[in-house]
Amino acid sequence: MRKEPFWQRWLVPALSLAAGLGLWEFLGSRTSAAFLSTFSATMRRLAALVRSGEFTDALAQSLALFVAGFLLAAVVAVPTGLLLARMRVLRVALEPYIMALYATPMAALTPFILSMMGFGFAPKVVVVYLFAIFPILYNTIEGARSVRPELIEVARSFRSSEWRLWRDVMIPYTLPFALTGIRQGIGRGLVGMVVAEFFLSASGIGRLIIVSERDFDTAGVLAAIIVISVLGALLMGLGRMLENRFAAWRGIAR
Amino acid sequence: MKSRALAERLSIPGGDIAVKVIAGLVIAVLWQVLVGALAPAYVAKPIGILAAIPKVLASAAFLKAAWSTLSAVLEGLAIAIVVGTAVGLVVGRIRTAERAMGFYISALYAMPMVAVLPLVTLWFGYTNGARMALVVFAAFFSIAINVADGARAVPPEHLEVARSYRARWPQIWLGIALPASLPYLLAGIRLAAGRALIAAIVAEFFISLEGLGFYILFNSRTFHHDDAFVAVLVLAFFGIGVEVAMNWATRRFMPWYRRERRD
Repeated sequence: MRKEPFWQRWLVPALSLAAGLGLWEFLGSRTSAAFLSTFSATMRRLAALVRSGEFTDALAQSLALFVAGFLLAAVVAVPTGLLLARMRVLRVALEPYIMALYATPMAALTPFILSMMGFGFAPKVVVVYLFAIFPILYNTIEGARSVRPELIEVARSFRSSEWRLWRDVMIPYTLPFALTGIRQGIGRGLVGMVVAEFFLSASGIGRLIIVSERDFDTAGVLAAIIVISVLGALLMGLGRMLENRFAAWRGIAR
Repeated sequence: MKSRALAERLSIPGGDIAVKVIAGLVIAVLWQVLVGALAPAYVAKPIGILAAIPKVLASAAFLKAAWSTLSAVLEGLAIAIVVGTAVGLVVGRIRTAERAMGFYISALYAMPMVAVLPLVTLWFGYTNGARMALVVFAAFFSIAINVADGARAVPPEHLEVARSYRARWPQIWLGIALPASLPYLLAGIRLAAGRALIAAIVAEFFISLEGLGFYILFNSRTFHHDDAFVAVLVLAFFGIGVEVAMNWATRRFMPWYRRERRD
């Protein structure tokens, strides 16, 4: 393949970004600040939020919520997925229900959680957990199911113990799939985090967005959205990095 | 080895279906008993939900709400599919376009879409339009990203043959790139449908707009959890239906496609 010319690799994205920001600045300056604030006003607002410390608090709250819910989901889902992979009966029995829950929009359950658990940190963690767990579970099962039976047979012919079988075959084979699930889980968990912060007790970046919106402080809304996008991009990038690091042998893995 | 033996001993005659049905019954009984014993009486339980189904499905308010949400989701998906396929093909086939737009698409795809909801209400007001905008926004990027992947993965031999026969660009785009991207499009629709459902529900919560999301919110606030749960079931069936339909269509119409997932 021919090497990509420099202008296309770097100049085009730079110009496109500049054009996008320029357009934003232009549109913002032509409309009322409550409708769309300019890029520069948004950046000033972001800087003010950072200086006042409001921003750091919000980010810390949001991250604590996300990490608690997501880790809980991963810690439950990965071992459960592996277990279901080894116990055929359990897998056959539970698969349709897990698949159904994977396809169910978990946002629909938030009002129930609100009315049963009320306001506080725990119900919000439950929301993030519910959003994040099913993609991880679903993908882990999918991966564990696709362990080639020959591998297990060979391991067994060599009188591999159950523990060695897990360590040398099941876990390495399933890991890339579990990581795909973890990446999906990160994405969904972030949505869960925002939903929880909007609809349960308002907190963190979500609260920053809502409060700014009520004050018609569009620059504040946009600043918070930018922060949440950067957070999303970083976490998704982390997920993708993990996946590429451990899934290289899967060939087509991306 | 032990677990294999256990699995064999546990395998129940009558096949997998029986196992699934029994598991479902066990889950339902556990839910009924545990929630009945531990949770307040208003919390939804299987028997109560079953009893509520006929009443809820016959009520005009529920049907109107279901129609409102599901038609908005389908309409938003249709818009996202048309525009997303076009953008995806351009980004996947033209390198300069990818360099110019690719990072916008991935960045917006990675952001939790509900975060823009307050902004959308500022722009569209507390209306149906705001819900539609959020649904399209939620669905668009998974479709564009998947179609772009598909357009990029067109086998080079196909393009070479087409060029040797002096195919024109509409023939290459519509005759080769588009069909080759179809399985990716279907995978994109699966993801997009899930995101679109979430977007519609969350928008209804936020805007207090008629629909299944608001139906759930209202009924759970007034402690009619069984009624509210019927709405959750309808949403779940819709989500599962899209999933099943897309898997079926991929197998039926694109048997040549090796399954690969992307989110």
